[in-house]
Amino acid sequence: MLIETKDLWKVYQMGKIEIQALRGVDVGVTEGEYVAIMGPSGSGKSTLMNLLGCLDTPTRGEYRLAGKLVSDMSEDELAIVRNREVGFVFQTFNLLSRASALKNVELPLVYNGTPARERVEKAEAALDMVDLTDRMDHKPNELSGGQRQRVAIARALVNSPSIIFADEPTGNLDTATSYEIMELFGKLNREGITLIVVTHETDIANYTNRILHVRDGKIEKEETNK
Amino acid sequence: MRKRTRKLSLFSSLRESIPLALFSLWTNKLRAFLTLLGVVIGVATVIAVVSIIAGMNNYVIGTFAAWGSDNFSVQRIGVIMSAEEYREKNKRENITIEQKEAVERLCRSCDDVGAQLTRDGNIKYERESVDDTYIIGLTANVLQLSRLHVAIGRDLTDLDIDHRRNVCVLGYEVAEVLFSTLDPIGKKVRLSGDEFTVIGVIEKRGTFLGQSMDNFVAIPFSTFTKMFGKDQSVEIIIRAQNREVMFATQDEVRTILRSAREVPISDDDDFDILTSDMLIQLYKSFTGAAFMVMIGISSISLIVGGIVIMNIMLVTVAERTREIGIRKAIGARKRDILNQFLVESVTVSAAGGVVGILLGVLIAKLVALASPLPASIETWSIAMGILISSTVGIFFGIYPAMRAARLDPIEALRAD
Repeated sequence: MLIETKDLWKVYQMGKIEIQALRGVDVGVTEGEYVAIMGPSGSGKSTLMNLLGCLDTPTRGEYRLAGKLVSDMSEDELAIVRNREVGFVFQTFNLLSRASALKNVELPLVYNGTPARERVEKAEAALDMVDLTDRMDHKPNELSGGQRQRVAIARALVNSPSIIFADEPTGNLDTATSYEIMELFGKLNREGITLIVVTHETDIANYTNRILHVRDGKIEKEETNK
Repeated sequence: MRKRTRKLSLFSSLRESIPLALFSLWTNKLRAFLTLLGVVIGVATVIAVVSIIAGMNNYVIGTFAAWGSDNFSVQRIGVIMSAEEYREKNKRENITIEQKEAVERLCRSCDDVGAQLTRDGNIKYERESVDDTYIIGLTANVLQLSRLHVAIGRDLTDLDIDHRRNVCVLGYEVAEVLFSTLDPIGKKVRLSGDEFTVIGVIEKRGTFLGQSMDNFVAIPFSTFTKMFGKDQSVEIIIRAQNREVMFATQDEVRTILRSAREVPISDDDDFDILTSDMLIQLYKSFTGAAFMVMIGISSISLIVGGIVIMNIMLVTVAERTREIGIRKAIGARKRDILNQFLVESVTVSAAGGVVGILLGVLIAKLVALASPLPASIETWSIAMGILISSTVGIFFGIYPAMRAARLDPIEALRAD
């Protein structure tokens, strides 16, 4: 198992009110899978993704990623796990606006001490995987939405992570570009990359192999595509 | 492995943050001006004051040292620091020529003993005159004891003294004013009414803190007392046999004078001994006070400057919250973010330091041009300017940087 959670809880304290965002979630994802997490807003799907992506720690329960018990880790240890094991793709791209596409893709390598020359090589290779080698010196504002998202995907790929999380990756894109991005994800998955996509759109979720429906902080049902 | 990681990340944060910090200063010039003002003033004060004081130090200490480290003088009233001290010392009895002779006779470690009297006066030659010159009546050996060398003509001799001759040796400036291109030797001048023959001119000595050291007329000691009377305290000038016995010589002279002046054992000396070392010490205590004032002014400006930098950095952190979220999401640890913002605040502050150094050097040069105060730009003060401004950057940058480093990645990513 690449991802394995046991009775995952996340409880927020808002003044006197206790909000149970997750109420005992058990998820398992094996290597090479392509999974969608679906659910209406407020269902807890974002909280679940934040926990699985090691951006946050659970209030209760266990979470193992690639054999490591992440639920007990410190903030800096989590940062290292995010750097080595996880890649993120966001709805709003989240690129650094001042930096070129190449510099943006290099950034995760900066934080694990990869020497400069190796950084450029790896970043170029990642941009090649998303077909953007001809745009690598452009800044984000000189790129289209789809191109920006592909830069973000290259950035997620550059450290060869165990898994990539995409949070509403097509939320800011038109339909044609959305399908392009989903095709790209499909291609990456066929090359062996494990992917989890959070979405509320059924046609996006249908690109994946398995859909987890989240509701009221629990996995309500699970369905397999094809 | 971990260590290498941290170093590389600090290095690349330097390469990334320094140009970024300089760029944001450049694009927002008014903000940059206000941000840097405090640090610029603080560092400029340090550089300017250090340069001026160092210039004066070299100059003054050089002058005192030229005065000699093997001679000293005894005066009725030496240096006074307060009006009260003056009132107290003013009760002292005059030092007489007999006391000088007692020292000359009894002091074994003294190499040479001279005496001099001084007063203001005027000197005329035909239509030229110097109204505010300094008349020195001296024993023949004093010119040599005070390291005054004759440029043309001859020294005063014991014969001149013994015969109370009306002869004089002129300071360079006096000779220049009275005679310009004429040969002064042998000319008759009128000194405070009496006629004198010029026998020599002393080498040019230049100015000391704006004061000419060449405006004087030296005449025989005996002629001086004949003209102006004997009721003036004598200054005794003594050369020790060598530098090693300076203190022993001073003690010996002190003992002789105390006995000659009948000072009771329990009382303090009723005369002052002045050495060039003491004058240097005294001078240093004055400049020490100037240093304290400088430290006061520059610390206030640096603290104000630091607070401004802290505010600007807090604004920067707020503006870039989302960027911090992105960096954290892709694996930046707390210390990576901390380093990034510290490097940025140090860069901003050090930029202020560089401007301050340039401004300080400029001020020192202008002061040196516009006044007799010399300036000497000290390398260590420039290094200190950089160090101080960087320290301000670290000290006042640490809080904003910690705020940035502690941001929660999820919340930071939600920021606009």
